[in-house]
Amino acid sequence: MKKRGSLKGLLWLAILALPLPILCASWPVATAQNPLTLSESRGKQIYLQATSRSGKDILAYVGDESLEVPGSALACANCHGFDGQGKPEGGVSPSNITWEALTKPYGATRADGRRHPTYTERGLELAITRGLDPAGNRLLNVMPRYQMSQEDLADLIFYLKRLGKDRDPGISEDKIVIGTAIPATGPLAEMGQAVKAVTTAFFAELNSQGGIYNRHVELKFSETGETPAATRANLERFLKDEQIFAMTGALIAGAEKEIVPLLAQQEVPLIGPLTLNPQIGFPLNRQVFYLLSGVSEQSRALVHFAAKKPEPKNPVISVLYSHSEMNSNVLEAIKDQSKKDLLGPPQVFDYRAGQFDAVATIKQLSQTSPDVVFFMGSTEDLLSFMNEAEKLRWSPKIFLPGGSVGTQIFDAPVSFDGKVFLSFPTSPADQTAEGIKEFRTLAEKYKLPSRHLAAQISAYSAAKILVKALTLVGKDLSREKLIQVLEGFYEYPTGLTPAITYGANRRIGALGVYVVTMDLKGKQFVPAGGWVNLN
Amino acid sequence: MTIRVIVVVLLVTVVCVLRPGQDSNLVSAQSRRPSREKSQPQTARYTCPMHPEVISAKRGKCPKCGMALRLVEDKVEAPATVTVAPAPSDSSSFSSARIPDVQVYDQNGKRLNFYSDLIKGKTVAINFIFTTCTTICPPLTATFRRVQQNLAELPLQVQLISVSVDPVTDTPERLREFAGKFKAGPGWTFVTGDKSDIDSLLQALEVAVANKTDHTPMILIGNDPAAYWTRAYGLTSPTLLVKVIAAAAERK
Repeated sequence: MKKRGSLKGLLWLAILALPLPILCASWPVATAQNPLTLSESRGKQIYLQATSRSGKDILAYVGDESLEVPGSALACANCHGFDGQGKPEGGVSPSNITWEALTKPYGATRADGRRHPTYTERGLELAITRGLDPAGNRLLNVMPRYQMSQEDLADLIFYLKRLGKDRDPGISEDKIVIGTAIPATGPLAEMGQAVKAVTTAFFAELNSQGGIYNRHVELKFSETGETPAATRANLERFLKDEQIFAMTGALIAGAEKEIVPLLAQQEVPLIGPLTLNPQIGFPLNRQVFYLLSGVSEQSRALVHFAAKKPEPKNPVISVLYSHSEMNSNVLEAIKDQSKKDLLGPPQVFDYRAGQFDAVATIKQLSQTSPDVVFFMGSTEDLLSFMNEAEKLRWSPKIFLPGGSVGTQIFDAPVSFDGKVFLSFPTSPADQTAEGIKEFRTLAEKYKLPSRHLAAQISAYSAAKILVKALTLVGKDLSREKLIQVLEGFYEYPTGLTPAITYGANRRIGALGVYVVTMDLKGKQFVPAGGWVNLN
Repeated sequence: MTIRVIVVVLLVTVVCVLRPGQDSNLVSAQSRRPSREKSQPQTARYTCPMHPEVISAKRGKCPKCGMALRLVEDKVEAPATVTVAPAPSDSSSFSSARIPDVQVYDQNGKRLNFYSDLIKGKTVAINFIFTTCTTICPPLTATFRRVQQNLAELPLQVQLISVSVDPVTDTPERLREFAGKFKAGPGWTFVTGDKSDIDSLLQALEVAVANKTDHTPMILIGNDPAAYWTRAYGLTSPTLLVKVIAAAAERK
């Protein structure tokens, strides 16, 4: 009896003593599913950016002489990392400040011999505001002392208890929620359906093969609105209600200026949006990764192509464009690239859409006898320009982004044979046998529509890049890690587009163009040189 | 029950005792050292590349890992605070002649030649940063900012230079943003350029590292006309740095 009793007691002891760390370890997993509370999410902002939603200042005091620095230059995450584990650099090893590490019951002994008992909330406050550990030792002098309001400090400590355990939205043990946006109505609706079909097929196939590290991808769709503002409102609701982790292949053409800042603000990565107008100005919106060059980058590449040609040296470039916001952006790109390629500033002529006066324009333009005329307007306007120019036996080189022309361009006068140069961000030459086979297999299996192939290939490649990146990140997934992995992409072959390279300053995967010219007799495009790299 | 608990406690103690045991081996290895050193001249010392605590007067293998021991060259390790090197021996090891006149860009995108535009005829303090470095660069730059403010109160002309160790990422725009964040004043140039140029510059300044996060918080201080160069640890008090810089500036 006695023996049994002691066994029972031992069992209890075992349950009480041993599994305690195990219980503690499993506890974060249970809480990880809970979204952050309001005060925790305010604390998270302080941890990541050292800015307060209350608008109150957060200041950091560094070193023995208490140099005052705006907190935003020295946010906690700078040194301790997004996960609180610490990022060693230049001989400084920031501590692991996850709550588990700070509250180990036996305190801590550091490599330099500094010892202190376990942290409490109050102890943490002292560390943050006065740079002291719970034993009253001074922390390393690289750790600033922060000055912030009592409320902000409380929020920060609330978040520190969740640090390293709070998952980004849309991630759970067995699921990753990916979103995309397509138009349901309007002229692009059919293209939207094609994009929807290929994206759905891609992820269905991925899930049938086991998903990504035992997580299946749940794909959700948002509709774009009739106006950019409506699109933004839809998307904002979508991201919040559906808890989207990242987006792929969204058709955001026309609403770039609304959508890109929204994604940056909500920190939702988007890979391969379908657009001709990538937003890649400084400072960079880190979240959005494009596949191909937009119109501005294509025009830059064309300028570069003109500058590189042996003849004529230092070509004189004129720009002729119809008024639109996009064309103004393109004009700025052309001017900037001309400067970079050490060409003179281009001469600029503009007109209102629908009011093109070919005769008067040519009279003006031909006086300066440019070698190259950059044309940004409708194909009809371009044709009338070339017809009038032919009458004057004048046939300058015409440069234009290929995406904007209609097939009637082949009706151009023969004197322009081999003189019209168009840029294309991708070409059939990029498609490898393997890439085509993979896509065809998917298309047959899921009965994908045969129309809008370019859009389908774009959306498909975007999804492929996203999945590759998610795979490279590993099971411990976060948006920040996804972005960092994407920034490390170098010459990744999608099999259907030019190879994809991203970087800390680079958000266009295939930064360059193919330049083709027109064989007006054979009515076909002829390569005018290989890939023009803009990097 | 008590017996079992005692057994558990004992096991734990055994584990704990085992660890100091390893250390005591080490102590004995070290305690043997002086007697051997006496018999050999002081100059030659060998150590294990992986276990610096292992020191031997003879060539041989590390008792811990079996790696071949390597000769220790007598170099002075950097103390934790500041390396002020007033001795002329240090200035002779590094000279302006070593600084290449490579083409660089400042934070405004202006093209400069590193030596002739930034160093020649001047007293300078150079630190090494990159804008995506978040751990030591902000305190390093904040310190530099205070140094600049304090120097402004002295009758000295000192130029500050921050060289990016990640020129591929650090465009002039990024440097400008970084400079703005720390309110860098005029007379403080942030430098980037083509990777090969910056790499050769970093090699010449003896701060090149394979991995940018390994870059050291070192400040190179030089008075070009006086051919005087010294180094300081950057994460220290601005007052101390100002003293070192002022001393360099006053050299003739």
